[in-house]
Amino acid sequence: MTIDMTRFYQVFFDEASEHLAEMESLLLELDVEAPDAEMLNAIFRAAHSIKGGAGTFGFADMAELTHVLETLLDRVRKQETALSTQIVDVSLQAGDLLRAQLEAHQEGREFSDKERLREVCAVLETLAGAPRQNAAPPVSPSAGAERSSQTWTLRFRVGEPGHPREEDLDSLLDALGDLGAVEPLDEGATPNARCWRLTTSSEPEAIVNLLAFVCDPKQIDISADESGASAEEGEGYGFFADASGAVSVTVSEADEGFGFFAGAPGAEALSETPEAAPASEPASEPASEPASEQPHIVQEPAQGYGFFINAPGADRAVDQDYPGYGLFGGSPGMDQVAALAVESREEQARGYGFFRTAPGVPGGAPESETPRQETGARPASGASAQPPRASSAQPQASSASKRATAGDTSIRVSVEKVDQLINLVGELVITHAMLAQSTSTLDPVLNERVHDGIANLERNSRDLQQAVMSIRMMPISFVFNRFPRVVRDTAAALGKKVNLRLVGEDTELDKGLIERLADPLNHLVRNSIDHGVEMPEQRLAAGKSETGDITLAASHRGGNVVVEVSDDGAGLSRERLLKKAAERGVPIAENAPDKEVWQLIFAPGFSTAERITDISGRGVGMDVVRRNIEAMNGRVEIDSEPGRGTRITIRLPLTLAILDGMSVQVDDEVFILPLTVIRESIRPQPGQCKTLAGKGHVVHVGDDYLPRVVLAELFGLEGARRAPEESILVIVDSNEGRAALQVEELGAQLQVVIKSLETNYRKVEGISGATIMGDGRVAMILDVDALVRLSRREH
Amino acid sequence: MKEASNAMNDDAQERAIGASTDSREYLTFTLGAEEYGIDILHVQEIRGYDTVTKIANSPDFIKGVINMRGVIVPIIDMRLKFNLGEVEYNQFTVVIILNIVERVVGMVVDGVSDVIALRAEQIRPAPEFGAILDTAYINGLATLEERMVIMVDIEKLMTSEEMGLVERLRADISD
Repeated sequence: MTIDMTRFYQVFFDEASEHLAEMESLLLELDVEAPDAEMLNAIFRAAHSIKGGAGTFGFADMAELTHVLETLLDRVRKQETALSTQIVDVSLQAGDLLRAQLEAHQEGREFSDKERLREVCAVLETLAGAPRQNAAPPVSPSAGAERSSQTWTLRFRVGEPGHPREEDLDSLLDALGDLGAVEPLDEGATPNARCWRLTTSSEPEAIVNLLAFVCDPKQIDISADESGASAEEGEGYGFFADASGAVSVTVSEADEGFGFFAGAPGAEALSETPEAAPASEPASEPASEPASEQPHIVQEPAQGYGFFINAPGADRAVDQDYPGYGLFGGSPGMDQVAALAVESREEQARGYGFFRTAPGVPGGAPESETPRQETGARPASGASAQPPRASSAQPQASSASKRATAGDTSIRVSVEKVDQLINLVGELVITHAMLAQSTSTLDPVLNERVHDGIANLERNSRDLQQAVMSIRMMPISFVFNRFPRVVRDTAAALGKKVNLRLVGEDTELDKGLIERLADPLNHLVRNSIDHGVEMPEQRLAAGKSETGDITLAASHRGGNVVVEVSDDGAGLSRERLLKKAAERGVPIAENAPDKEVWQLIFAPGFSTAERITDISGRGVGMDVVRRNIEAMNGRVEIDSEPGRGTRITIRLPLTLAILDGMSVQVDDEVFILPLTVIRESIRPQPGQCKTLAGKGHVVHVGDDYLPRVVLAELFGLEGARRAPEESILVIVDSNEGRAALQVEELGAQLQVVIKSLETNYRKVEGISGATIMGDGRVAMILDVDALVRLSRREH
Repeated sequence: MKEASNAMNDDAQERAIGASTDSREYLTFTLGAEEYGIDILHVQEIRGYDTVTKIANSPDFIKGVINMRGVIVPIIDMRLKFNLGEVEYNQFTVVIILNIVERVVGMVVDGVSDVIALRAEQIRPAPEFGAILDTAYINGLATLEERMVIMVDIEKLMTSEEMGLVERLRADISD
């Protein structure tokens, strides 16, 4: 399941750089004297989205920086801190840093300019007025685990009273390996002194407890080691004060191992990590003599590893002849070794490879499924211990190898080319419609061949359209598959038990939609876990099973894709929402129907969470969700029952390029109404339509009075006004509730190619776009939400 | 008018031959009694007037949008914009399709007259005067056979807030 994470790295990189670009341009536009609240919100949202993505994918450094940035922006947004040029400057700097980090991750290396990072963070924190400790909480569950890992140095003397015995060492190493990565530093240098470095996220107590099995923990010197590099420490401790040769061995091993693995996954690490490369060369010479084979071996995996990364295809291996490469060079099992190396590297990228040894460890690689054994095969374990951090830096390497294998059956084509194709097909469909219309008047008998031709053309162009559209169709599993991880991490961070169920992962929809669906779904799922599912104790008390259920379901429903996120948690609290609405001055009637109350959670800055966690609670999430979904011509609905759970339904068109609509006519003008919003249409009876205070129009449908939106009036179309009884009312769903659109004629149901009005003109209120009809004329596509808002304002 | 324009064409060719490299070509059109020139590089094509689709709540000089080979193009009637009396749309009505800041806009004028080549020094600065157009959008004046041609900065005009063609944001950037 987690292997799929690597597939989304590229998506994250793209998304994040988009968000960064947006943030930067907004920051640059921002008027410091009189900042636009909407703009501040947009900047904040961009930062928030980057943080969310970075957290999900375990790019801890980015998440950390954005969190600090977000804290500051949040204060600015809420007007707790006045905007100043300094804030804008430092935010831009933070944006630059984020971009650098992003590039680093993209190239699969670790971001190196830590000092600058600290500097900017410090400035951000001072500006946000928060002391450092408060402003650096764990950022995401997965990142948190990694971040809190610490390096401990264990020093003891084998065989001495209270110290472990020689024969216990292997098992101890194994046991410690379960906690984190162990790295013996001075193997064989001094007869019985041992110095191990352990990188783990576990508490010191855990280490002590383990040690207690084989020795007296008090006798053992355990010290926290922040820097991670131990060369100087080794010297300072005095072990090797008299043996300069030995010191150099230690240093080279440590540096080599560390530099190599910390900088993984690239072979670049070897050649480009400045400390590692020079250190390893001179070191191997003196080391090989006193310490028999060991340093030599250490050198090998380093090369082997770098080599494999360099070449995703194992085929190159045969041609390469590396010095000291005895084990692998020319060996018949080369391919398998390479494949295993790739595989285990992928496993590391998945986050499972923390405790495994490097794939290139001699003797270990062929059986790399058995990590323990390798750890036991210690000769090269100076290199085998691996800081977990390295795993986060490996996406690119494994995706590169994936690409190579996928190359046989698929080609990578830029989305632009596909879009161009879709546009052209759209034109073709329009041209066909025009031809069909103009030939429809011809005598079918005399012009049989023309009619046949047109019929053929229709069939072919429809097939072509479907084929082209299918290029962009992808199963929704592409976005669903990242959620098991999200759920696991989020639930773990909150101490909740959550079970995720995926339904209908094969449902296909437009690639553009899939990408844009990821963000909103992420928010919804995290929200469900954070606010929906209760703590295990509460669940038991409420008579539910301890484990909460979250279901992600996708299905096709009448030309739409419906995605549901449902949980069996506490449900929304009507009272809390209404109270919050009153506090924030959001207008809502005390006795408003549930649906309207639930919609409150989509209001900007609306959060009923009592505390702000890094997962949710800032009240941006739902706001972003609705915006994103609406930008895709979709709609969001909420159903909730206290104590039983919440279900959020997202209804999306199959693609962004084509819309299913109904043509309606008002005063000779044709408009397209998206089918998704239409509920029913009625011809009102006399007396059903009323006027409020002489201005506002309502219609009495069933038990409800719905606002009546008179299109002709709203659009200022001249023509003779028809009485409501002579026109048709289309009942539509809008964000402002149900409404009735008054039109004059209903036309045909049709598929239209959406064209933006903004390409050459600008946004028009009440219109979401335009399309070209069969007769070549342009028709406007109605934006129902905006229309209802507009009509409310006019009256 | 057709004859006149033929005669002028000859003239224009002569001028074009004699023109040095620093001269630029301008399309001239008439609005009311005045003759205007715009940089020809902004002109994409000239076409007749088609039925347009109205845009709701837009000023009346924005006639609407047309479908130009799949591209949706807004059409502005300059005669309405500058109140040049009665306007009628017939087969002789001319639309100049302009390409401005990567946008395509159609402009209805009274008539298109000529393409002329002018060197920079032939364009004289315009004094404050009461032309149809605001002086802010006028680059200068040129003389063409005793007639005065008003050189318009069409890009500035079309992206101006007054025209309401582009969102303010865009206008700010291009200014």
